[in-house]
Amino acid sequence: MEETIKSGKEVIDEFFSGILNIEGVDEKTVEMLVKLYGNDKLTDTNIQNELEGLKISALKTSKKDSDDQN
Amino acid sequence: MTKINNLEITGLRGVKETLDLNLNKKSILIYGDNGTGKSSLTDSFEWFYNNHIVHLSNEEISGRGREALRNIFLSNQDDGYINLNFDDNDLDAKKSIDNSNKIHISNTSNYFNEYIQDSGSENLILRYRDLVEFIIATKTEKLNKLQEIIGFSEVAKIRTLLKRNFGRIKKNIKSSDYDGRKSVRQATILENLGRNAYSDEQLFDGVNELTKPLELKIVAKSRDDINAVIKEITSKEDSKLSDEINFNGRVKDTIAELKEISSTVNIDYSNFHTAFQGLQKEPEKIKNLQLLALLKEGKSVLTKDVVEDDYCPLCLQEKSKVQLIQELNIRTDELEQLAEEKNSIDEQAKELKQAIQIKKNSFEAILKDKSFEDKKFEELKGKLNSFKATLNSLISELDKGLTDKIKDPKELNLSEKELQSLVETTASEIKKLTKSKASNIKFTIYTKLIQTSNAYKEYLNLDAEESVLRKQQVTFELLYEDFIRRQEESLNIFLSMFSKDINDYYTTMNPKEKVEDIRLIPLTKKEELVGITIDYKFFDVRRVPPEAYLSESHINCLGLSFFLASVKAFNKRNNFFILDDVISSFDRSHRYRFAQLLTEKFGEYQIILLTHEKEFFELVSSEVKSKGWLLKNFKWSKESGKGIEKGIADIKERILKKLEDRNTDGLGNDIRVYTEKVMKKVAYELEAKVSYRDNTTNEKRMAPELLDAVQNKLKASTELKEIANIPKIKGMPMFVGNTTSHDNDFQASIEDLDAIWEDVKKMIHSFYCKECNKFISTKLYDPVRKKIRCGCENLIYDWK
Repeated sequence: MEETIKSGKEVIDEFFSGILNIEGVDEKTVEMLVKLYGNDKLTDTNIQNELEGLKISALKTSKKDSDDQN
Repeated sequence: MTKINNLEITGLRGVKETLDLNLNKKSILIYGDNGTGKSSLTDSFEWFYNNHIVHLSNEEISGRGREALRNIFLSNQDDGYINLNFDDNDLDAKKSIDNSNKIHISNTSNYFNEYIQDSGSENLILRYRDLVEFIIATKTEKLNKLQEIIGFSEVAKIRTLLKRNFGRIKKNIKSSDYDGRKSVRQATILENLGRNAYSDEQLFDGVNELTKPLELKIVAKSRDDINAVIKEITSKEDSKLSDEINFNGRVKDTIAELKEISSTVNIDYSNFHTAFQGLQKEPEKIKNLQLLALLKEGKSVLTKDVVEDDYCPLCLQEKSKVQLIQELNIRTDELEQLAEEKNSIDEQAKELKQAIQIKKNSFEAILKDKSFEDKKFEELKGKLNSFKATLNSLISELDKGLTDKIKDPKELNLSEKELQSLVETTASEIKKLTKSKASNIKFTIYTKLIQTSNAYKEYLNLDAEESVLRKQQVTFELLYEDFIRRQEESLNIFLSMFSKDINDYYTTMNPKEKVEDIRLIPLTKKEELVGITIDYKFFDVRRVPPEAYLSESHINCLGLSFFLASVKAFNKRNNFFILDDVISSFDRSHRYRFAQLLTEKFGEYQIILLTHEKEFFELVSSEVKSKGWLLKNFKWSKESGKGIEKGIADIKERILKKLEDRNTDGLGNDIRVYTEKVMKKVAYELEAKVSYRDNTTNEKRMAPELLDAVQNKLKASTELKEIANIPKIKGMPMFVGNTTSHDNDFQASIEDLDAIWEDVKKMIHSFYCKECNKFISTKLYDPVRKKIRCGCENLIYDWK
């Protein structure tokens, strides 16, 4: 029984070690989640803050790219 | 895997003097009457491993049960402790508690700390009161409990995090109405440029076409070029007019954005109104919903053993606790469905409110524009304010509670027609203003270019923002799907293997009975894992849930099977477990098979099996002894006065706490119950006669009967009769008449109760010696001196 049943931690660890390979995900969002999990800071508030940060940074980059293009 | 060599308990719970068991890694069957220290052993183990005792951790006994941990007759200088010696000597430890409830552990090694931490999640103790907890729990509770046992609580938390964030981003995208807002910008571009511009190329082509009549040297190939064109054709003389045109443009966009969502808002509010009124039409449902919290609290009181006996804590009627919990489960399940219906309406309201709030903010922002100070915009301002008021009203209606009346959708309709008309009015105002300088082509092109450029910038910003959010949404959706697949796969493997063991143990205890193929089944709703149920074949037909078809004895068997399967599956550090009075409702054949199950399938484990049932002890003694078990009888402990009845100690603790807290709630009743328990002991020691009752009802002697019997016996001692002053106690309100139940309407102040408690204590101390912890007893009668005494002669009275 012990050999085949995965503990909750094993399920979570396996998930986080493989999420970058899931097709179609946004790399930066996934990296952010992996980092929070690794630092034991995966909370709802932290995720929200990080997502907002990623959004602002993406918008700045988009504006800069567009400015550079011109 | 660890086994116990020796255990020693002193001064904890009901054990005042040392309880020493030399187990030498062997299993043991212990028999003892209630109050002889059996459960004290279990409580001490729970404290050793978990640092608290769950059934004592209620509001009345604070400090995670520590307040009630030390034996109350222990002197202030002595520590209460449990000393465990294991087959692995490095784990040997003594855990003690001093008079100030300070805890000390002799073993401070990391090795021991890791062992304790690991043991905290293992299944080491099963008490009778916890036996059926899982079996009769609701489907959600079963899922939570199992997830907790197998370490899936964290898994469930992460799953919730992923789902919540996916939902939140999705809602943000919806309420931000990117499509509508982008479409408004494109309409502006189309109006001014004569074509849409979804890309820079389209924009540049349009701009070059627009500026052709000016024959400028600059050809727009970038947005900087467009800025340069604007700069070249701008004129300071026309800036006021230009500002006015821009202002009208902003007003038009704000109104147009609201128009885009007006029909959705009207429909959503109407749906919300219908659903809300649907719930309001069934006031019974709403009333019941308000009961949900009470029922849940009631269930918690029963499952946490705040109420230990079989009676309803509200109406005080006698009723099986298991049955009560089952009934509460059914009622809370029904109400949970209703709560879900209500939550869905609340969620609907929240989403709609969020979308409306964004538009309301836009209206507030534009209404603060300085241009509105000009009187010529008064009418427009009034109309905008009127829409803002409707948006405000919608928000406040969506905030209302179920008992409030909410406005009809007709009263709060956002008229799309009216909004369209306002858009057209502002558009024609822009045209009019532009036309006023129609002869000035440069100015006309300038205004069109400015509006196009602003609209395109805003369009790009909205598009970029939406694109980031959509990426995040897709990411969380994909992660969530992957995660639930992993979780469900693992859970299903666990459930299938775990079910096999439960089935094996249950059928071993119940052979040739028509219950077969017991399974734990995950339950899903809208593809979501919402619970776990137990099903089984009963006379070849699948049935669910167990409590509907199985007797209490069979449900207990199932609960026991669940615990034993948990021990095998999850105990990695400890090779022992404690079963405290778990066979109380088993019939004879089940009891014997239960003992066989333990010896045959759990032979490699060290088991501490406690029972207060002599019949069971005698029935299985030979079976377990032949397998090398030890046998122990705790009865000696009580007879020698070493054990202190647990119930009495608990109630006294409670009384003292309430007196300290100045809390009169139930205090009179506690004093009555305490007096009853002590007087039973006094009557026993003095051989005071009471009428015959059989074993069960013998336990339910009431205070007046016992006080009468003891008073009658005190005719033998004038001295004791005077000191005890029983008539005074009998005259106290809680002992007058038939106060068997808790419906005595006597309302005493804390001062009254304080005085009553002092008198009761004084009476009890005339019978009980604090020095030797023994009652005066006819067994200690000195026929020469004609005296009756306690163990140490501190209390000695004439007795004739």
